[in-house]
Amino acid sequence: MQGRWCWTGTEKTWRTIRHAAERLHMVGDAMFLALREMRRAKARFAFLIAAVALLAFLILFQLSLQNGLLRSFVGAIENQTAPVLVYSVDGQNVAQASIITPDLEAAVRALPEVGAAGRWTQGSFAASAEPASAEPASAEPATVESATGDPGPASRTGELVDVSVVGYDTEGLGSPVVSAGRLPAAPGEVVASDADASAGFAIGEVVRIEPGGYALTVVGHAAEIQLNAGPTMFAPMETYAAVLRARNPDARQPLPNLLALRPADGVTEAALIAAVNGLGDDLAAYTRADAAAQTPGVAEVRSSFSVIFLLYGIVVPLVIGLFFLIVTFQKAGALTLLRAVGIAGGRLVRSMLIQVLIVLGLGYAIGVALYTPLSRQRLGQIPLRFEAGGVILWAVLLIGLGVLASLVAARRVLRIDPVEATTGAGVGR
Amino acid sequence: MKLAWRELLRRPQKFVTATLILTLIALLLMFLGGLLDGLINSSTQAVSAQRGSHLVFSDKSRLSFPSSRLTEDQRSAVAQWTGDAQPGGIGVAQFGARLPDAGPRDLVSVALMGYERAPQGVPDVAPVDGEVYADEVLRADGVAEGMTLLIGPARVPVTVIGFVADVSYLGQGTLWGSLSTWRSVQNANRPDDPIGPAVVQAFVVEASGSWDDNPPGMRIMTVDEAVSALPGVTEQRATFGQIIGVTVVIAIVVVGLFFALITVERLGLYGVLKAIGARARTLFAGVAFQAVVLTLVAAVIAAIVAFGLDALIPPGTIPFQMSVGRAVTSIVLLLVAALVGSVFSLRRVLRVDPAAAIGSAT
Repeated sequence: MQGRWCWTGTEKTWRTIRHAAERLHMVGDAMFLALREMRRAKARFAFLIAAVALLAFLILFQLSLQNGLLRSFVGAIENQTAPVLVYSVDGQNVAQASIITPDLEAAVRALPEVGAAGRWTQGSFAASAEPASAEPASAEPATVESATGDPGPASRTGELVDVSVVGYDTEGLGSPVVSAGRLPAAPGEVVASDADASAGFAIGEVVRIEPGGYALTVVGHAAEIQLNAGPTMFAPMETYAAVLRARNPDARQPLPNLLALRPADGVTEAALIAAVNGLGDDLAAYTRADAAAQTPGVAEVRSSFSVIFLLYGIVVPLVIGLFFLIVTFQKAGALTLLRAVGIAGGRLVRSMLIQVLIVLGLGYAIGVALYTPLSRQRLGQIPLRFEAGGVILWAVLLIGLGVLASLVAARRVLRIDPVEATTGAGVGR
Repeated sequence: MKLAWRELLRRPQKFVTATLILTLIALLLMFLGGLLDGLINSSTQAVSAQRGSHLVFSDKSRLSFPSSRLTEDQRSAVAQWTGDAQPGGIGVAQFGARLPDAGPRDLVSVALMGYERAPQGVPDVAPVDGEVYADEVLRADGVAEGMTLLIGPARVPVTVIGFVADVSYLGQGTLWGSLSTWRSVQNANRPDDPIGPAVVQAFVVEASGSWDDNPPGMRIMTVDEAVSALPGVTEQRATFGQIIGVTVVIAIVVVGLFFALITVERLGLYGVLKAIGARARTLFAGVAFQAVVLTLVAAVIAAIVAFGLDALIPPGTIPFQMSVGRAVTSIVLLLVAALVGSVFSLRRVLRVDPAAAIGSAT
């Protein structure tokens, strides 16, 4: 009994192996046919691969552009440390346009749901960068060793650049998360966006705010803290006020643009937001993610790019589908003859699908190869990034849609009647 | 050519999918172009409409209105330097405006422009203090003539006395008033950053000269340079230009691919036609003609869709603006792409051997 079981088991295993080998042989056959045909029609397949590569490159480049644009617009809002931000309704979700008056600030601070509150201000300035060896003009100059000794493009060309300076008054509440160096400890010290390090904002470099020439020394870097698609620096409030006064001697103590809040123990962010919004119609509170998403322009950028992605996403499968349909028509006679000599329709379809996968795979790989070096560049003030998640998502989407589109041609192949080899009808059109 | 035309008429189904793909590519091209135009126009109209050849900013302002401050003394210096006796002062203040019947949290973004020299489309004489002309785009937000808007957190009232067109600034609808209206709105809302009585942010001047130097403490530039210096304008033009360029290359590849396939299919037929005296030039002209017709049909369909999108997209969602100029440019680009794409078939057409073709046909 046991011997019979063993024999049956062995037979099953053997049968499975045989089936697998047969399948492998079938795939091998289909692969042979597919590659042979591609080798004989190099130009037309090269054209198709080039089209897929260019489309994939454009899609991925625009994905990087979209994400880079959004990060450089609102990165400072999304990546600062306060979980809740309060805007004045008049600011319309633009930090620089929002102003929190003293009475509103007092009302927010008095709420029992508020665990801690800090002031957050932001302004746009003109600045020039210079090497750290230059003597800073701030009251208590910071002594920071030059990291690179490189004066940066701004000072090399002698041109001014637009910068955003963010002021915070409470460390850990509106300040950035430092990825290199340290937080400011003395007047005139700032943390800059790491994306701007090569643009004259490396640690140790000095940035002068013009007019006035107030010197800011970069002592730390933080990731993705740009605002308004330009170099951005975070500074304690007293440094921010000094910057403001350097530009405009008439300037008074700045009012906060936003309030940075942390909920009291046991209070959720949602409850804190509801409490602030319940104070009246002058204030609007958001989580930092919502504040970034609500910034004017963010939704428009997303919707504009969505339409572009949709159109590109439709073009790729259509090009693939059309190509293989035409090729199937052109091979009608040969395909009918193959069917007539006993080649199964499935084998012909497998051969075609292998070609589809090779074209899509190769085209997409070339597209990614073109995209990779570009994704490490800066586009003007916008630092791009390799979007690994997007690369995988679009690979799945394009290959899936491309294979689906090619099924129209596959259907034609399966509908071939071998008898038509004698009549010459082939693939009906 | 006649043969090519007849084939298009008698077997249109053969060309449907290619036309569909070209239509999508044409639509992409027009959508990208319309998006670029919408973004640029909504940002720059208020500056490009200025009646003058040059704009003057303070030298450390990076050509930014909010960062620039120019005094009365500098006005005289500009007049001497440029020869324009009356430089026109400009000031910009960006705030939220409250409408009378809107909800307390429903504000409209506006840029209040104080002016002395009216830009194109704006009445020459600035309105009296507290009154403004409103940008046409603000009608979509509910702004109407005679309405009093409350500007900024200080709720400074200004009354709309009329509308002006094509004067948006940095994506916002504009209000045009006197310089003193601008100062009072700015100072009431930003007491921490006040503007002095005769201070402006920039001057518009009409001057024919060009200067290597600038007036002391100032930077003088043409209006076109000032438009390009607005935040994001140069970057948007460059980026969209590159994307549009690659999309045209894709159109070339698609046309090339499609007609290369069609040509392969017709090799036997071309052999016969050559054998009876047709020249390669005539045969290629047929291919190019079909490519042009297909592309033209696709581009016209795309243009209709693009204009439809322009009409249907609600204001404030996607900054899409379709113009006849953009449609014509896109169509011309696509037709060039079609001709270039069809050239890929030329080699095959030239290589057709009439004798071999007849041999294989028999």
